[in-house]
Amino acid sequence: MMSSAERTHLGRALCIITGASRGFGRATALDLSRIVQPGSVLVLVARSEGDLRALQAELFESEAGKAGVTVRVVVADVGEVRGLEDVVKASKEAFSPDMEHMILVNNAASLGDVSRLTKSFTDMAEVDSYLSLNISSALCLTARVLQAFPQRAGLRRTVVNITSLCAIQPFRSWVLYCTGKAGREMMFRVLAEEEPDVRVLNYSPGPLDTAMQREVRAKTADPELKESFASMFTHGQLLTCEESCAKMMKLLLEDSYTSGAHVDVFEL
Amino acid sequence: GSINITSYQIQFHDPRTLGKSLCIITGASRGFGRRWASLIKVVHLLEPGSVLLLVARSGAQLQEVKDELQNFRDEPERQIHCITADLSTKDGVEETVSVASQEAEKELDHVLLINNAGSLGKISSFVSFTDPKEVDSYMSFNVSSALALTAGILQMFPRRPGLRWTVVNVSSVYALEASPLWVLYCTAKAARTMMFKVLAEDEPNVKVLNYSPGTYVLYTAANVDVMACKDSAATLIKLIIDNEFPSGTHLDFFES
Repeated sequence: MMSSAERTHLGRALCIITGASRGFGRATALDLSRIVQPGSVLVLVARSEGDLRALQAELFESEAGKAGVTVRVVVADVGEVRGLEDVVKASKEAFSPDMEHMILVNNAASLGDVSRLTKSFTDMAEVDSYLSLNISSALCLTARVLQAFPQRAGLRRTVVNITSLCAIQPFRSWVLYCTGKAGREMMFRVLAEEEPDVRVLNYSPGPLDTAMQREVRAKTADPELKESFASMFTHGQLLTCEESCAKMMKLLLEDSYTSGAHVDVFEL
Repeated sequence: GSINITSYQIQFHDPRTLGKSLCIITGASRGFGRRWASLIKVVHLLEPGSVLLLVARSGAQLQEVKDELQNFRDEPERQIHCITADLSTKDGVEETVSVASQEAEKELDHVLLINNAGSLGKISSFVSFTDPKEVDSYMSFNVSSALALTAGILQMFPRRPGLRWTVVNVSSVYALEASPLWVLYCTAKAARTMMFKVLAEDEPNVKVLNYSPGTYVLYTAANVDVMACKDSAATLIKLIIDNEFPSGTHLDFFES
């Protein structure tokens, strides 16, 4: 058994990634495929079948694919019970007893309406819907996956939550996003406290050049905040998903992060 | 520490009050909410023309609270109204906003909203929470409701010169500390604290306080409850009157 300092791979793994069709989730799928052993399976979850199939094809043609890393696609909305059931079912089918690692990456999330201030959120249903996707679905998916793959000797279990600076710092005009991220991060901290054998990584990827970021630039109500994101974009200060994901891979390989702690890309 | 507001005020000849206020407190029928309501009335921190709105699901318990408060002094200039509303529902939130908005014509000095209503949720292992409806329902009452209510009331009392606005979120040490088996409560409290911090950022003229009343957990044979420490309601009142806290801050009774 390799020591953490020497690890160049994550073993024969089952990797479940939500929001895998684009952005950071997609980068995670590609990067994980390169650091898991042959016989590993990636279970990619998203709502968009077209994008998932394209990613599956890309992985199939890749070196990792040729070396024996396979991909299952689950077209599902993790905000629906049916979606959660489909993910767990596919994961159980993909799992084989010789696998030594189960990795769940909770990446799927939404920005919420950043064009409005806190006092405009008078519609409870809108807030409920946002929290359902960004908090409840992550809790229930993680709970179901951990139940499906309970603790046993020889199986490492890693749960990643894609968090944000917004989980720990309030951003003007971003009430839904900050609230959701803060709730999620605490949720995974509780998991870390309860289950010492599960490695919990609250990873904050930094400002990424993605579709979500485009929405941030277009819609943010607060003028100063909007300007600062526009400026980051113009001056090439946004990170690519690949750059940030590479740091996350390093964290996973070294496996020395404090379970449950907020780890920011810029700390590395 | 132990603070008796009345003796403090008498000793220090402190003339400060909350002004002619509309005070709205949710979860007012028992526990911390009930205690806060009783103190605020007794110590005459509400000037004539003030209105105290007590909101809870139990109409009967609210009426008891109101009767207790009216017994202390004969004060027609300080009104107490009870709103029987289930704040886990959209109707309950809208009803509360609607009743509060009826005071909008008055020349109030201060609108003070105490978001105290909340629930403990099931104390259970993280992995037991497999049902999204259960989690949704909990988050709705403990997070969405407080946001929709606060937003609704803010809209009814827009910014104007001479109007002070204070919003309190009754928080917990568990907004900051993760505790095994308490995933629902910790998650909601952490979410709420952040929510109110963003409110403080968005509305510079609204003073926002995340206040943890120094709770302790009471386990009985039958159930678990989170109790607020004695004097924590009085400490909150003093914090509001002093009005020195930075908006959006999270304060714990044990620190103050």
